[in-house]
Amino acid sequence: MDTKYYTTWEEYLAEHSELEGKPEQAIAPKIVKYEDAMFTFIMDLLL
Amino acid sequence: MTDAIARTNERNQLFKDLFSGKTPKRVPISNPATQDFAIQYAGLDLAECQWDLTKLEPVYDKFCQDFYTDTYPGGSIRIPSHYQILGSTPIVMSSSGFMQHPDVVGMLAEEYDEFIASPYDCIVETILPRLYTEFNGPPGKVAMALAKAMKAQADDLASLGAIRAKMNAKYGFAAMVGALTEAPFDFMSDFLRSFKGISGDVRRYPDKVAAACEAVLPLMIKKGTLPNPSMLGYTFVPLHMAPYLREKDFAALYWPTFKKMVETLAGMGQSVQLFVEQDWMRYIDYLYELPENTIMRFEYGDPKLIKEKLGKKHIISGLYPVTLLQTGTKQQCVDKAKELLDILAPGGRYWWQADKSIIHLDINGPVVENLRAVLDYVHENGTY
Repeated sequence: MDTKYYTTWEEYLAEHSELEGKPEQAIAPKIVKYEDAMFTFIMDLLL
Repeated sequence: MTDAIARTNERNQLFKDLFSGKTPKRVPISNPATQDFAIQYAGLDLAECQWDLTKLEPVYDKFCQDFYTDTYPGGSIRIPSHYQILGSTPIVMSSSGFMQHPDVVGMLAEEYDEFIASPYDCIVETILPRLYTEFNGPPGKVAMALAKAMKAQADDLASLGAIRAKMNAKYGFAAMVGALTEAPFDFMSDFLRSFKGISGDVRRYPDKVAAACEAVLPLMIKKGTLPNPSMLGYTFVPLHMAPYLREKDFAALYWPTFKKMVETLAGMGQSVQLFVEQDWMRYIDYLYELPENTIMRFEYGDPKLIKEKLGKKHIISGLYPVTLLQTGTKQQCVDKAKELLDILAPGGRYWWQADKSIIHLDINGPVVENLRAVLDYVHENGTY
């Protein structure tokens, strides 16, 4: 998606250097889960 | 193993067989009555129960006990709290407590180019503020309204999920999971351009309509993708506008992105259930082209023609007229169920559902008795 309102994990990681060396396998699913939850919520408002 | 777990296993197998094109042990059944119906059946206030979901557990318990079904009945995607918090205009509660969808225009015709450039940006920046009053105002206020609404919806879904888990544990329904999306053209129509608006756009700006459908396709696929696609999961796709289009407009504007969406979702290993609203008989050959085992719940149409043209490739459902439950005798209702079983069940690929959901209940009318008789008849006579 070409949008400023949805960020992939790769894009998020690139913007957050403070996460370098942190447990990506634990952080990524959580960040992505809430990114997707917001997407679903927004789209449900139009369905 | 408890009886409920055994029933869940048996019902899961029915749907695994059905969705993979095998003939199941018997015709699976879904009760077409909704949560609204269940609340009225329990004699409770519709508005109050939708705001205070703690009242729903005994409602569902009685509903599940009194009406045969293989899948969890009821459910609701239109819970009022988050719509209220966001100042919704497209989804509002009526004075009688039903959630309604007035015809709205979320996107103007001159905004097609903005939408095509980035559909999601246009949705967030232009369409939602037009349709939901609380998306307007100072950024901090908007952020807080959004946070409250998401929290409210999450709490409501958790409440409904807990009730569902209890009912599944008690009654042993099939363990189905679902997602919801729309055909790109229908998405452009329903909340964005409106029925009237899109009907004019098809003639005035067909290229922009086509481009908008292409642009929004990835969003509709993402929205319809299950977190863990599986044989017991399906994406529900209600179809709206095709019967109101000329065939050449359907072929050029509706079909291409709709077909791509269904093919992509099916390619992920999940089922797709189309709610084929209104009469699609003139598009029946198009429907044949969709991936094998697409579930098609028809509202209207010729059952014999549907079985003949689609029944060896796809899974057929619907067609039982719920209006008959209000106007017919018990015998007429059962006879209709028998007629459809005789036409649609042979060879498998048939899921008993009605032509539409039952929302309103006239408590003094015949619907309760007739519905129960039909569900019991299909359960007792749908064995292969």
